[in-house]
Amino acid sequence: MAEIEVTGVTKVFGRRDVLRDVSFAVEQGGFLSIMGPNGAGKTTTLRILATLLAPTSGGVRIAGLDPSDDPMPVRRTIGFISHQPLLYLDLTAYENLRFYAEMYGVPERERRISDLLQRVELSHRRYDQVRTFSKGMLQRLAIARALLHQPRVLLLDEPYSGLDPHAVDILDGLLAEIRAEHTFVMVSHSIAKTLELSDQVLVMDGGRVVFRQSGTIDEAHFAAVYREHVSEGVAV
Amino acid sequence: MESAALPVTAPALRVTMWRQLYAIVKKDIVSELRTKEMLLSMFLFAVLAMVIFHFAFSVRAQTDLTYFTGGMLWVTFVFAALLGLNRSFVHEKDEGCLDGLLLCPVDRVTIFLAKMTGNLVFLLVIQALAVPVFTLFFVKASYLGDLPAFLAVLVLADLGVCSVGTLLATISMNTKARDLMLPIVFLPLIIPVLIAATSGTTAIFAQTASLGSLGPKLLFLAAYDGIFVLAAYGTYDFAIGE
Repeated sequence: MAEIEVTGVTKVFGRRDVLRDVSFAVEQGGFLSIMGPNGAGKTTTLRILATLLAPTSGGVRIAGLDPSDDPMPVRRTIGFISHQPLLYLDLTAYENLRFYAEMYGVPERERRISDLLQRVELSHRRYDQVRTFSKGMLQRLAIARALLHQPRVLLLDEPYSGLDPHAVDILDGLLAEIRAEHTFVMVSHSIAKTLELSDQVLVMDGGRVVFRQSGTIDEAHFAAVYREHVSEGVAV
Repeated sequence: MESAALPVTAPALRVTMWRQLYAIVKKDIVSELRTKEMLLSMFLFAVLAMVIFHFAFSVRAQTDLTYFTGGMLWVTFVFAALLGLNRSFVHEKDEGCLDGLLLCPVDRVTIFLAKMTGNLVFLLVIQALAVPVFTLFFVKASYLGDLPAFLAVLVLADLGVCSVGTLLATISMNTKARDLMLPIVFLPLIIPVLIAATSGTTAIFAQTASLGSLGPKLLFLAAYDGIFVLAAYGTYDFAIGE
């Protein structure tokens, strides 16, 4: 059974169709990347998977669960890494992780928080206010936040956006470490990163899936196909 | 890179509504104590309003303001509360924290109750500081004997202010002109609370209060609180949603 199933999803904001009949599936342990120009509906798709938005029509199942029946168990299975850190700037790194650990009911909180802070190389800043962190440090802490409750599915919304090379290395290392036992959906603008990580790629434009490919994907071929299907250029 | 093995098998996560409510309230209080933005602005407003009332109404020495005291006190508190309510979701909007909160397996009503509790705590703190100052300025006779009745009016009216205010602050948070929107929708809805709290407080300060005269006002305030907490229970999912 697919870990993530999206069937005929549409989303309408006011009179604007943001998503039109979007369907895809990701097997357990799969890594799907969604590409496309700004306004293509990538982030809306991700927010529907994250239960932050409800589809206007169509169905979503994550780990066999339907968020429209009961979103709570679905939220427990999801970790979300956005280009925004989703962290409280006036709290310390430890207080942020402690807060989210309490919200998810994470067992052995202290050990889990220490492990994750060590893994993202922020142990030495655990009692510093997040307001004083650089963009890269914020994103590293956001990764720790997303992994805190050991989710089965990770949703990544432009996770590499604004990261320094060191933070990119840490994120790559973390993703490699947990790759086999998680299912991923990533929204990205970078063809190189997308093809490096993914085993399935969707290209969206105007709220529709305009191209999809699985398996090994040649970068030059994909870049050409991408340009053929969408009007805007992308970073390679 | 440091190495620390991350267990990836998801554990059975167990969390109660009360634990989540406590976590959100604690987080809001710790954040506020770090910045003191909300408490300081609410307290300064309350003190300045009292100073302005003092000079505005003292047109003649020995003017008896007893029958204006309830009105002055509650106008001050309602506008001070409005300042706080406008700020109550600022931390959530920063850096997408509201998304972080909504991603948690938490019932939306728990978020409402936690936010309402936080707003209530901040308002009570301001009142604990402002009421003695107000008493010093405006109240001539001691109302220590009626203190339980005064506290009952205060807490019930505060609950009304915070339940309506939290619900409307949530709705207005996602609007373009949220700073303007909240007072426009909040003030008309709070008038019933203002009337009951003002007449109850004035009666206490004027020493004309009795259980018979205050009872219906307290019941009215309790009913108002109940209605708006129930309204929030039924609508908060939509209020905080898309």
